Order: sequence, then structure tokens, then C-alpha cells
Amino acid sequence: MTRDPNDDLELTIDKFMFRFPKRLRYSEAGLWIQQEDSLLRMGMSDFAQQRNGDIAFATLTPAGTPVDVDDEIASIETVKVNMSLPSPVKGKIVEVNLLLQESPELINQEPYGRGWMVIMQPEDLTQDLGRLMTAEAYSRLARQQAEAELKP
Amino acid sequence: MPRTAIYHTTVHWKGEHRGYVRMGNGPEMDFSAPPDAHGHAGVLTPEDAFVAAVNTCVMMMFLWSAERFKVDLVSYECRAEGMKLIELDRTELFTQVVLRPRIVARSDAPGQEGTLKRLRRALESAVKYSLVANSIKSRLVLEPEIEIVPQAMNTTG
Repeated sequence: MTRDPNDDLELTIDKFMFRFPKRLRYSEAGLWIQQEDSLLRMGMSDFAQQRNGDIAFATLTPAGTPVDVDDEIASIETVKVNMSLPSPVKGKIVEVNLLLQESPELINQEPYGRGWMVIMQPEDLTQDLGRLMTAEAYSRLARQQAEAELKP
Repeated sequence: MPRTAIYHTTVHWKGEHRGYVRMGNGPEMDFSAPPDAHGHAGVLTPEDAFVAAVNTCVMMMFLWSAERFKVDLVSYECRAEGMKLIELDRTELFTQVVLRPRIVARSDAPGQEGTLKRLRRALESAVKYSLVANSIKSRLVLEPEIEIVPQAMNTTG
């Protein structure tokens, strides 16, 4: 998964900088989604991983599991919080990133690279892609969420 | 969750180079300067309090992060040393604080590498998320000694 830094949107809030590759789509829950032919590779966005802290464990829903929209595809335990990541699409998980069993910190270190989580076979790719956000839209949402949290 | 919190202490002068401090969390005690700075032995000093603030805060954060990383902790002991520098203009600062935690954890996992890795990450997170460590301008140096011991044998039956 090579990338050109010029293809990233950058959002700076307070002392933090978040990257959003423009080639990806995003869900409200903080997942990025990359189309790879008829499959969708997913992971945690830079904003979501930075906001939730150092990841201690990532438990991925096993390959072969059919999932509906909002079914859990991963549960994450960070130093600060536990969180469940809901699927943005209906389909079947066909592959999970086994590296995360021993090295969940990859999600923090390389959220758009070796920290990917699952690959899904969606039931309706065109409809699913249409529901997801562009980098620009997700960047606006991230700003709103961050600014709401920073309010005194 | 509120994003700010206030902690407080109150000091008052007891005469000579002596004072009395009331901590917001309850303890009260005498304090002075170190004997080599015209103070008195046997009581809290600002220098000790500074080093202790770093040491205690990192330890408390480590206890939390060790739980989050599912480390089966047996013992934790840490000597901390703050290095004072006297500048040309006679001002003083702590340039660095060295933390030397000795940590023992239990594991029966083969190879122990996974346990060691989680423990090291827990320690790194403890420093990263420690309020006091995060607030000082001194360099923080970690020199841990880590030992993994097998789970205790079941002696019943």
C-alpha cells in the first residue's frame, strides 16, 4: 500500500495533526475503506487512532463471518478506552490482519498501512461506496468532533 | 468528562528555613530545603517532592496501563534520580529525571517475548500518559530491569 503524501488531506487541531488519504472512503465511526477490485480493505483512521490512544489489544471478527451494517468487525482496547468498531457495509469478512494479534501497535504506527484490520466482500459494492464519506467530508466531521470535545 | 481539573497545596512558614505543607489529598508535613541549601535533614524538600512526583505518577500510570495490557504484575520498585544543573546565572533546573523501575511479572507463555513486549509497551504508555511526566521540561530517561517468572505451581491436592 504505497502512498503519495501529496494525496493526503491534513487537518491540524490544537497541537495535533491528522492525515486523511484522499483515495480512501471513511465511515462515521472512524474506519477508512479502500476498494480493491470487488473487495473492501478497512482500518482505523488516523483521527480515530490518535483520539483513542495507545492500542493494547485488537480483536478482529474472524474471516468467514457474515456481517450486517453496524455489526462489530473489531473490538479495540487502548490504554484509555474500550471500543467496538461497527461495519459500514453488509457482507462477509474474507481476511483479517493476523499481524495485529502480536503487534496491535501497528494501528497507531501505520494506520493506513500495516495497521489495516479486515478485508470484506460487500454484498452491494456500489451502494456501499455511495454511503461512505470522502476524505474532505470525513475531515469536516473530524474537525466538528474535535472542536466539540475541546469546548470549555 | 471535564477536560480540566485543579489540584492544590497550601504552605506556611514556621520560622527559620522551615515550612509546613497541607496537601489537597489530605497529608500534612514539615518541609525544608536540603541541608546543602541551608535547609534541614529529615523532612520533605521541594527537590525530593519533584522527583517523587514524577516517580509516583509514572508508577500509578504503570499500574493502570499494566492492567490494560493484561500484565500479571508481581512487583514494581523504582528508584528515580533527578539531576540538578546550576546555570551560569545561578538559576537551577532539573535537566533530567532517570527512572530505574525493577519490574517482575508472571507468565507461562512460551518464549515470554509477548509478555515482555506488552510490559515494555505498558511502561512506555505509563510515561506517555503520566500527567506529571508529561508536564515537566526535564528529559525523562527510562532504564527498566524486567524479569518474567513462571506462574506459581498449584500446591493443592
